[in-house]
Amino acid sequence: MKRKHSYIPWIYSFPALLLIGIIIVFPILYTGFISLTNMNLFHWMNYKVIGLGNYVRALSKINSGFFAALMTTILWTAINMVLQIVLAFFIALGLNAPGLKLKRLYKTLLMFPWAMPAYVSILLWRVGIYNTEFGLLNKIAVMLGQPKVNFLSENIPAFLSCLVLNLWMALPFMIMMIDGALQSIDRSYYESAVMDGAGFMKKNIYITVPCIRPVIAPAVILTTFTTFKQFDIIYLLTMQKGSYTGATLQTVITYAHQNAFVSNNYGLSSAVSIVIFGIILLFSIFTNKSVKEEEANEKV
Amino acid sequence: MKKYRMKKTIGYIALNIVFILLCLAGLIPILYAISLAFSKSGSALSSGLFLLPKNPTLENFRKILFEEPFFVWLKNSVILSVGTMVIAMTVSVEAAYAFSRFRFRGRRSALKMLLLLNAFPQILSMFAIFRLYKIMHLLNLHLGLILIYAGSMCIFGIWNMKGYFDTIPIEIEEASKIDGAGNLKMLVKIILPLARPAIIVTSVMVIIFVWNEYLFATTFMLQENSYSLAGGLYQLQADDYGRNWSIFSAAAILVSVPVLIIFFCIQKYMVSGLTAGGVKG
Repeated sequence: MKRKHSYIPWIYSFPALLLIGIIIVFPILYTGFISLTNMNLFHWMNYKVIGLGNYVRALSKINSGFFAALMTTILWTAINMVLQIVLAFFIALGLNAPGLKLKRLYKTLLMFPWAMPAYVSILLWRVGIYNTEFGLLNKIAVMLGQPKVNFLSENIPAFLSCLVLNLWMALPFMIMMIDGALQSIDRSYYESAVMDGAGFMKKNIYITVPCIRPVIAPAVILTTFTTFKQFDIIYLLTMQKGSYTGATLQTVITYAHQNAFVSNNYGLSSAVSIVIFGIILLFSIFTNKSVKEEEANEKV
Repeated sequence: MKKYRMKKTIGYIALNIVFILLCLAGLIPILYAISLAFSKSGSALSSGLFLLPKNPTLENFRKILFEEPFFVWLKNSVILSVGTMVIAMTVSVEAAYAFSRFRFRGRRSALKMLLLLNAFPQILSMFAIFRLYKIMHLLNLHLGLILIYAGSMCIFGIWNMKGYFDTIPIEIEEASKIDGAGNLKMLVKIILPLARPAIIVTSVMVIIFVWNEYLFATTFMLQENSYSLAGGLYQLQADDYGRNWSIFSAAAILVSVPVLIIFFCIQKYMVSGLTAGGVKG
């Protein structure tokens, strides 16, 4: 539809764009500015511009922790996504088995972890499941005559604990998405495949996976972003203000937060933030392209 | 053939067992919290693995409701959610409409830009906002926090509702144009009622988002009486969770129940709403 006055849509969207400009865009630019200064607790007002020093510090010194955090983040995202997609795929397949009578009940029950407020779930897990004294896991361990385990005091167990919790919280969404996608597949494909003698594996590799790929691609990308920028789980489980558990696990996001609000090194933290912004920007441009290509291929 | 059927039945029994175990794994942390919330404070922590408390009591609920400033937190959470919802929705409805209906220069790039901005974690610019707020004396004010929430939810709102506006046939608008309705009148009288489902779902999701947000709430609200539920609960468990743990469980349940109810009411639309927004670009 063509409208003559091309300023009208801008009038309509002006309030929204203004709000976004002030609350989202301007702080990002301001972060960029702070990253060029030596602002910290002692230079709160009388900071001065020091150029790219903070970036050099964040990127060049291995011991500044940024690279370790980046590696942890990549590992965290990759393991989480692989486990989530594989597990959710098989669970959704199971839910769609034609003779499963209680499927609606199972679906509803499986959704609960998704519906709980995230910080409530995390805090419940921290004390209710992982805690050394009151945690359910350690109570079970004691009943079985095993020694108590301190799940959050060292990096590797803490990483695994965070991983399990993230799976618990994120799987329902993925199951739901894949379940929806599975239902959109035409049954007749399977019938003719069975005629041709295809088994369970072949049916899934050649029919199910290609059919659901375009449908779940946006959900997977969305989840990859949320997993990459996941902050709550690691922060609330291991490093709340005043109650560190001993693990020194850092992702890039917690690293930036730590530098800004705990060690008050605002310049360095802003530089780290800008670098992460850059990574996310590149990543989203890249994924945007690949989704477009996939869509184009579908149409041909 | 009989053997085949046997095999199938066993397969389904196994599948059902797997799903029962999965559901248990999903629910145990929640059930455990519920059982603690109903058991005597202190006794739950000592020993025992029972999911059913021995002497169920409402003591913890009484304590959280009347000995802690629960109602103050509740009031603050309601102010924050409703305020955010009002601001975010008033600005994003017209924007979504404009992006859906008009074809103008810069539309595609503006939409892409919004998507990119949405991918940015706001935590990263949190310090910048904090500093700006401190200079402008907006800390500890509901308005300040509402603006932050509204800004980030506004992008979500635009994308979510644009997807729905796209599905409303344009002929309806043309007809009302012929009948002499102006732009604004048409939007209010015709389009908004038609888009009501999308507007309701988006509003509810904004409210749930604010209800569940704790990081900005705890960083920007530094006074006891401006805490939201999230801030209050966070404080409650940070103090001394050994003693407060069963009270915390009771509070966690009180906070989660409304969200759970709303969630299951709009769950159907949520999935379609999220996918519809993502695919079209």
